[in-house]
Amino acid sequence: MKNFREDLKYVGKPVPRVDSYEKILGVAEYTGDIELPGMLHTKLVLSPYAHAKIKAIHTEKARKASGVVAVAVGDDFPFRVGLYVNDRNVLARKKVRWAGEPVVAVVAETLEQAYEAAELIEVEYEPLQPVLDVRDALKPGAPLVHEELGEYAHSPAFHPIPGTNIASRFTLKKGDVELGFKQSDVILENEFMMPQVSHVPLETHTSIGQYMPDGKIKIWTSAQSPFTVRHILSVSLGVPEHKISVYVPYIGGGFGGKAGINFEPLVVMLSKMAGGRPVKLELTREEQFITAPVRQGLYAKLKTGVKRSGEIMAEKILYVYDAGAYADYGVNVGRAAGYSCTGPYYVPNVETESLTVYTNHPWGTAFRGFGHFEFLWAIERQMDLVARELGMDPVEFRLKNALLPGKTTPTGEVLREDAGRIDECIRAVASRIDWGKKPVAAAGKPRGKGIAALWKAPAMPPNASSAAFIKFNEDGTAELLLGITEIGQGAETALAQIAAEELGLPVEKIKVVPFRHTDVSPYSWQTVASRGLFMDGRAVQMAARDAKNQIFDIASQVLRVSKEDLVLSDERVHVRGRPEVGLELRQLVNGYVYPNGNVVGGPVIGRGFYSAARLTYLDPETGQGYPALKWTFGAHAVEVEVDPDTGMVKVLKLVSAFDIGKAINPAIVLGQAYGGALQSMSLGLLEGYFYDEKGRMLNPNLTDYKIARASDIPEEHEVIIIENPQLDGPFGARGIGELSMLSVETAIANALYDAIGIDLKNLPITAEYIWKHIQAKKEKIPVEAVT
Amino acid sequence: MLPKFLYHAPETIHEALELLNKYGREAKLLAGGTDLVVDLRERKTRPKAVIDIKRIKELNVLKYEPGRGLVIGATVTYHQILEYEPVRKKYPVLWEAVKTVADEILRMRATLVGNICTASPAADTAPALLVYDAVVETASKNGGRKIPIENFFTGVKKTVLEEGEMVVSVTLPEPPADAKGTYLKAMRVWSEDLALVGVAALVADGGKDVRLAYASVAPTPVRARKAEKVFREDGDIREKIEKAVELAVASVSPISDVRASKEYRLHLVKTFTRNALNRLLGVEAVVVA
Repeated sequence: MKNFREDLKYVGKPVPRVDSYEKILGVAEYTGDIELPGMLHTKLVLSPYAHAKIKAIHTEKARKASGVVAVAVGDDFPFRVGLYVNDRNVLARKKVRWAGEPVVAVVAETLEQAYEAAELIEVEYEPLQPVLDVRDALKPGAPLVHEELGEYAHSPAFHPIPGTNIASRFTLKKGDVELGFKQSDVILENEFMMPQVSHVPLETHTSIGQYMPDGKIKIWTSAQSPFTVRHILSVSLGVPEHKISVYVPYIGGGFGGKAGINFEPLVVMLSKMAGGRPVKLELTREEQFITAPVRQGLYAKLKTGVKRSGEIMAEKILYVYDAGAYADYGVNVGRAAGYSCTGPYYVPNVETESLTVYTNHPWGTAFRGFGHFEFLWAIERQMDLVARELGMDPVEFRLKNALLPGKTTPTGEVLREDAGRIDECIRAVASRIDWGKKPVAAAGKPRGKGIAALWKAPAMPPNASSAAFIKFNEDGTAELLLGITEIGQGAETALAQIAAEELGLPVEKIKVVPFRHTDVSPYSWQTVASRGLFMDGRAVQMAARDAKNQIFDIASQVLRVSKEDLVLSDERVHVRGRPEVGLELRQLVNGYVYPNGNVVGGPVIGRGFYSAARLTYLDPETGQGYPALKWTFGAHAVEVEVDPDTGMVKVLKLVSAFDIGKAINPAIVLGQAYGGALQSMSLGLLEGYFYDEKGRMLNPNLTDYKIARASDIPEEHEVIIIENPQLDGPFGARGIGELSMLSVETAIANALYDAIGIDLKNLPITAEYIWKHIQAKKEKIPVEAVT
Repeated sequence: MLPKFLYHAPETIHEALELLNKYGREAKLLAGGTDLVVDLRERKTRPKAVIDIKRIKELNVLKYEPGRGLVIGATVTYHQILEYEPVRKKYPVLWEAVKTVADEILRMRATLVGNICTASPAADTAPALLVYDAVVETASKNGGRKIPIENFFTGVKKTVLEEGEMVVSVTLPEPPADAKGTYLKAMRVWSEDLALVGVAALVADGGKDVRLAYASVAPTPVRARKAEKVFREDGDIREKIEKAVELAVASVSPISDVRASKEYRLHLVKTFTRNALNRLLGVEAVVVA
């Protein structure tokens, strides 16, 4: 179905990014650039304990220090905030729940003064026993991270269990799992783990808040989702939404960490204490590691039953997400993993429990991939382990169980006819890596090949929606107003291409307004979930068509033909079949003016929206229902080389394939694929939060929290774009943002078995970790117990 | 945000020494600043005064003279060293070591003398200086000293430098005529990292003069003299290498930390020492895997 539409002029072309020049020249605006008259600065005092009672806070000295305007403690803000579960304090109250939690905020005229005063704060703590492992957190009698869990308001989609550390329990039942195991010839059980990780955005979290004397609230912030910030703040403070304005310029990387609501309530409330002067908070790199939210860790246990012939009959799944101290957003990660739990495979009988569990680690939030990077590590390793048990080729085993259109997903959804094709993705990467052809070791360094697949749907409420405006200027140029933010993903460019295509207007004649302001921008739920291109794309299409309709209204009166007989192309409206009879766009978009001064029509403003179609809440017991607007499928194959002396892995070749329906901008798709793969490798091979026995992070800096850099890029990376169009997507498109960073590290781990016969079950698979496995294998000691 | 301090930028060594005398231990010297600024940010040091020596022209000397050796002034950056042809030709161990320090951007600021004055056990240039028998030249109001690099480090981030004393330069004598060498560094990533283990090896005098030095495996960078002696004697080269490897392992005492375990570091000392010696002594490597 490759020839969906070939008459496209702007869509499907590698148009240069609309934000390139500003960013390259260093003139693009970020929150940190914003200086406001009378602006004050904040320094946070952080908890040194993972879990402790706050006995007393002595602020007197700090209050008297030079330049100090306000000093705030948790009890100054007696309300909670949260996206799905209202569990978060603005500053710690009564007790601290992780080492790095803000306890006191000092506001001063200058940042230097805030720092100096913060050093004068004394906090008395009574240490409590911390919960530092999700498995301990689940044991009866474990210390509770949230004693008051039963009192927290939460969305009906989540199920906290008061009196435990379980922030939410998601359960899913499809078919009869016991019967499925009875019908199986082989049953294999395995455990997998990974620690928490950081988003490491280039721009640290930065927010400015102003609580005006008349009760209005203004926020300037590095938030992915301005409308969500406004909505949650409105609910938490009881201030109506029209009195809250949220301004978001460009964002220096989000990766989910700036989704939901973060430090905005704090700066707003500090401004109120400071008499309405604007208050800025910009996290340091160290604070970004220990105080900003992180990606949750995972413990997974899988039990898979298969027939000798290779059909998966049953899967029993336990996912336990380490939410850390707060789970206001994290609970939805556990839910998303729960309903996508099997990976891109058809399994007739599934029983899944996906728990989001509080610990005294830093608080978890959304992270690109939203739980899928984590559980796909378990699933895609398990697929290889099961295939080996059966003596079956891993590619063949995956194809045999591929979730194809017409089959049911874990939630009982029949996969739509125009869904993407996982089998095509797997076949494409297998072919390009020469699957089945054993690589030869070079210079004593063994080589191996591995494969892993992936899928994901946007995780969002069933009623999530997006809107867009297009307004025309007097000269026929246009402005595109969006609600989705530009966090580096390229949404502005792709959405401008969609508008250009619909309007027959060159991309360079469309300005994408480079900020979001909740007072004037159209609504978009959140910039998350790989939903922007699909949902905001549909909204832009509708807005463009609305504008076009208005233009035709005017033109049909002037040209005296019916609207159906008009054509808009190359900035001109003309009568179909008679290109010489027409009007320039600029003559129409502000109303057509006759020579005598009469005017027809007026300024054209197109408006569009898109709401997720036919999604439902899931059954609280069985998890059955319709959570997925669209499924994007993909696969990676790698060839790796291992240095047996050090355990260092080199990725010689990576092949990635994604069925994205339509590449609106193939250059940006490649950017996503290259960047996502490197992030996947970085998370899988290098990154992790390591703690001492008291729960304090040992590596809160870029010296010891290693992230991949240019030299860590695969030597060769081939990207295959598969375009089976989704008929309700804009020009057939689905979405790629998160998909590219799923499963690469699993393909590498699978390749490591092929290369040197080691089975890795925990992330990160560091060089030392690989070396340990090589040693264990040499000495024939048992390979791995989950630690 | 840095704590407050007085900033001085003297233009002569004499002025710098006056300031050092005035503030004593409460002064910190600033050259590249890549260690000092991080320590200031983390409040690991709170000096009353920071003395920036970058304006002292004579400290930027970088000069090789045949027979006399190589002089590296206190403000010479890694970038300067990498660009200076005689270093690559005559002191390949140093050149390779410098090449592994951080990245291009930091190497334009960071200095070799700063690296040894910080005296981190992980200092990449220290093993190279050790195998070239470098001499550290200092200045103070009481006159200067010439300190062999092997006596310079006294502990983790500790040196023999006294109050009021500063390093002016490091001199590397002319290496033996047939010297070959290499620096092998284990990192957690392919891009840049502190050394998990750094091994400097130099072979000269037809294989009889072998020198080995290590980073990140002891409280200070260390030279493995016992292992070196093995090659003074006659015997099978492979056996000598294995013996040297064992003695090298015995002369280090790595710890376990967030970067690597003690066991992994010991393994790396072994395998890197063996690989370096095999290569430099022309012995074909046996595939171990």
